[in-house]
Amino acid sequence: MKRIMIDYEKCDGCKNCSAACMQAHRETPGTIYDLDLTDPKNESRNFILKDAEGHYKPLFCRHCADPECVKSCMSGALRKDAESGHVFYDETRCGSCFMCVMNCPFGVLKPDQVTKSKVIKCDFCVNAGGEPSCVASCPKKAIYVEEV
Amino acid sequence: MKHVIIGAGVAGTEAAKTIRGLDENAGILLISADTQIHSRCMLHKFIGGERDEKSLNFTEDDFFEKYRVDWEKGVRVVEVCPGEKEIHLDTGEKVGYDRLLIANGADSCIPPVGDLRKASNVYGLRNLSDAQDIVKEAEEAENVLIIGSGLVGLDAAYGLLERGRRVTIVEMAPQILPVQLDAHGAQSYQELFEKAGVRFLLGRRASEAQCGEDGRIHEVVLDNGEKAACDMIVVAAGVRASTGYLEGSGIMCERGVCVDSYLQTNQPDIYAAGDITGLSGIWPNAADQGRVAGKNMCGLKTEYADRFAIKNTINFFGLLSLCVGRICEEEGDEIQVREDKEHYKRVILRDGKVEGILLQGDISHAGTWQYLIKNHIDIRGTGKDIFKINYADFYQVGDGGKYEWAI
Amino acid sequence: MNQCYGCTTCKSADKPLEGFIAGLPMETSHHRVEGQSTKCAFGLQGVCCRLCANGPCRITPEAPRGICGADADTIVARNFLRAVASGSGCYIHVVENTALNVKNVAKSKGEIKGPDTLNRLAAIFGIEEEDIHRRAEAVADAVLKDLYLPEYEKMQLTEKMAYAPRYKKWKELGILPGGAKSEVFHGVVKCSTNLNSDPVNMLLDCLKLGISTGIYGLVLTNLLNDVVLGEPEIRFAPVGLRVIDPDYINIMITGHQHSMFTFLQDRLTDEDVVKKAEKAGAKGFKLVGCTCVGQDLQLRGAHYEDIFDGHAGNNYTSEAILATGGIDAVISEFNCTLPGIEPICDELKIKQICIDNVAKKANAELKEFDFENRPAVTEEIIDEVVAAYSARRGSVPMNLMKEHGYDNTLTGVSEISLKKFLGGSWKPLIDLIVSGDIKGVAGVVGCSNLTAGGHDVLTVDLVKELIAKDIIVLTAGCSSGGIENCGLMTPEAAKYAGPKLRAVCESLGIPPVLNFGPCLAIGRLEIVATELAEELGVDLPQLPLVLSAAQWLEEQALADGCYGLSLGLPLHLGLPPFMTGSKVAVKVLTEDMKELTGGQVIINPDAKESAKILEEIILEKRRGLQI
Repeated sequence: MKRIMIDYEKCDGCKNCSAACMQAHRETPGTIYDLDLTDPKNESRNFILKDAEGHYKPLFCRHCADPECVKSCMSGALRKDAESGHVFYDETRCGSCFMCVMNCPFGVLKPDQVTKSKVIKCDFCVNAGGEPSCVASCPKKAIYVEEV
Repeated sequence: MKHVIIGAGVAGTEAAKTIRGLDENAGILLISADTQIHSRCMLHKFIGGERDEKSLNFTEDDFFEKYRVDWEKGVRVVEVCPGEKEIHLDTGEKVGYDRLLIANGADSCIPPVGDLRKASNVYGLRNLSDAQDIVKEAEEAENVLIIGSGLVGLDAAYGLLERGRRVTIVEMAPQILPVQLDAHGAQSYQELFEKAGVRFLLGRRASEAQCGEDGRIHEVVLDNGEKAACDMIVVAAGVRASTGYLEGSGIMCERGVCVDSYLQTNQPDIYAAGDITGLSGIWPNAADQGRVAGKNMCGLKTEYADRFAIKNTINFFGLLSLCVGRICEEEGDEIQVREDKEHYKRVILRDGKVEGILLQGDISHAGTWQYLIKNHIDIRGTGKDIFKINYADFYQVGDGGKYEWAI
Repeated sequence: MNQCYGCTTCKSADKPLEGFIAGLPMETSHHRVEGQSTKCAFGLQGVCCRLCANGPCRITPEAPRGICGADADTIVARNFLRAVASGSGCYIHVVENTALNVKNVAKSKGEIKGPDTLNRLAAIFGIEEEDIHRRAEAVADAVLKDLYLPEYEKMQLTEKMAYAPRYKKWKELGILPGGAKSEVFHGVVKCSTNLNSDPVNMLLDCLKLGISTGIYGLVLTNLLNDVVLGEPEIRFAPVGLRVIDPDYINIMITGHQHSMFTFLQDRLTDEDVVKKAEKAGAKGFKLVGCTCVGQDLQLRGAHYEDIFDGHAGNNYTSEAILATGGIDAVISEFNCTLPGIEPICDELKIKQICIDNVAKKANAELKEFDFENRPAVTEEIIDEVVAAYSARRGSVPMNLMKEHGYDNTLTGVSEISLKKFLGGSWKPLIDLIVSGDIKGVAGVVGCSNLTAGGHDVLTVDLVKELIAKDIIVLTAGCSSGGIENCGLMTPEAAKYAGPKLRAVCESLGIPPVLNFGPCLAIGRLEIVATELAEELGVDLPQLPLVLSAAQWLEEQALADGCYGLSLGLPLHLGLPPFMTGSKVAVKVLTEDMKELTGGQVIINPDAKESAKILEEIILEKRRGLQI
């Protein structure tokens, strides 16, 4: 399985990964220049957290081997794809119970801001050929894809 | 090896998947009264008309073919004979097994008040068939009385509101959602339901409910003498493990089917998982039990370890809540509360550990709390405001890029 | 494996140059594009604010305001005003030095090479001095006086220089500038921490800065330079790396202030100085043109045939020029002198000298070139350059590219020379426009950057698209350097034009792209436009005229752009100027501006699409004029 590896010590907290993620998942066509950074519909699937000392800790979905989110999904919206190993989310099946949010031990998941009916979940940019936009956008090469 | 599974809920289907994963050649037979695989957590969406039967299915569309599972649906088991290693169905058929999983869940519990148990317009809300009955009845019924304001009661109310019914909810406790939320957190939902037209009768219990000549209850009398008129009643006062057919089988039952830490019953080769065990009443745990039982049935000895079950998420009218761990305050607790226009957060601390958390409004990234509570992790070392603690404070990247806990 | 520094250089419109740079053994800016290809989206949109200790604050859907409460509109407008004020400051610095030079030349009774321009300015300013030097001094003083006015006193020459309908419009909008230096000061104050938060108010200030930048920094700089440096004359000249002649001691010049070089330039052809070169083994000295000051020399090249070898290339060609090994010294007085030339100069033992401390390079020697000390400083510079030549020649490998560029590039186009070429009147040009033989005019100006498709890529592609649509292109700035090195300024380039424009060009023996020289000459384009409008009796926004700073690079370009907008002209940009994070700013610039000044900003990185949009605007304006 391909996973986004994290060299967190390299992270500068620029949030370019987040902007790239929003751009990759926006509903309207366009470029990074016109990505509406004030529209709450544009949400990133990755997050830069900070610990008490202020060190950046990038939070990217691990597409876990034994994914708690999938195990807690009561609608079948979250599934681990046997072929790629990635955990995919089918918005149309989702029952909006957010038990996945409660069960992801790393706190990667969150409900969508606007409708509170969907889960904001990394899809490994599968619609863009499976090359994660966040990885391509990282100026520090703090994230990279590796077969695990 | 022939595996027979009773019940097509998540415990049963997860067990079947697990067994197939471990044993390519096993025979797997699923027997259920349900004729449709459905997620009971979404029944309110069915009642409300948002989903049809098919879209309540939580398994893959080709589940039975993909995992090569045989399914006898619409069938009830009437007897289990551990000695003969066979079960008897209501069709008269007898089915032998090498390993048996009892996972047929629980039934709504209708309290013995007046004619509640015998009236024709009183429903529980547990299975798709219940929801189908409720929808049918609600076509005619204008006023619906719901007994109980737990998640199931509110689910029923939510669905019926969508259908434009007038809903009254009777609740024994002085607040709604008494198991999940504190009074303050419950108040927000109460207001939302009231705004949608629901009338709450809190701190009240039904004391009288007589059938009319038509066999239906038209009015319920409360313990203060107040009368609540109704065209139909939904009882959401809890569930009871569905163990009736096991009587006399030698399988030990208490609140539910008794199991050891490998989810095996007192009878050889018979296991139980899900709500019927009475271990917990929530989806993720039932699923987990199904998987653990499946492994043990295949001879892969696996302990059911993660028994943490005091966790819930709530989503009504777009207001989200998450409650993990203890909600009720006890002596010696340290309680911290943070509240604003859109958020309510309340944490119970004891000896530097989080005993319980309630988040309302925003539950983003809150999964970490379950881990901290369940594993009794001392959070004093983080040096952070309690509500700002997140996974960054325990962040560690291990082999293969896995997240781990630096504790 | 080969000797190339890296094989990931960016594209160039100039393919031979692209190959040359890719083959270089040292790093250039073209190599660094890839490493910088991840751009911070917040920076790109202009919604990163570093104005206070609470920052940087970035606008996101979850955090739509900075800590102070500034929203995307405020942050963007503040950042933009800061950039425009800065850019304006640069041009005002140039005009200040230029005017001081005229004054000093006049006071010292130096040569007035452009008496016609002097008389023209004196007439406009209302100066009646008999003596030519006193006249020149009075003209310079009038400009300086305005530059030094406080912000609350309007500059005197604005009304005299501006086209009357425009002046009226500016007055209506309340954007007549006070003292040009004070306006920069005012702009910088306005966008500082927790002062102005009104995006529209700040954008109007940008227009005001555009006016002072345009009239003083651009138009008057050109004319003042014409007075002492000589007026442009149309001629053909060689361009590209081919102009470097290794038999000479070669000095590459970079910057924008031609007047600072003139003393040195004149000395370099004096017999005693040439002797020094000969003693060192060279035939003499040559100046090699680079960036806008090179364009300015090329423009006035008729006066400098002995010393000026030709224009080698624009801003992002400067590293390649040095890498030929044929350059012995770089003398710089302003931008666009890239910091990236420093390690190349070190490696190739090229002497770096700066003559204006605003542009002091890290490893260059600063030799401030004040008027009184210039003879002594000039001698020092000459000796150091000769020493550098002696030290490096023979030990540094040559990597010349004699085949690069073109020999017969048309240059020397100005508002005066072009009119003269047309027989002393704009009528022939107007007739061609009216008849549709020339559909319209596009000023393709500004810089080159490396990110709008690559070096000069969008500029050159856009020019090709425009001329194919029978739109004549006038250029000024580094765009000129790129376009000429791609051959579009030779008469043979007429073949790339649409049939009508091609016929016009072939009958006149001119290219379809006319080079007005440095970015300062955007001011000359404006004079042409004004005179055309005057002749037609219309205001500027009615003309079938568009501007494109397709590959704008710097803050100066933004100030230029604001001038274009204040003139009411449509302005195309290839990349947005870090503003798209503000809906208000975008709307003001792209839509509301049409009502305010008649101008509008068009942002499009695609040459074909951009040309189509610009053509549409031209056609619409033609319909407006009923032609």
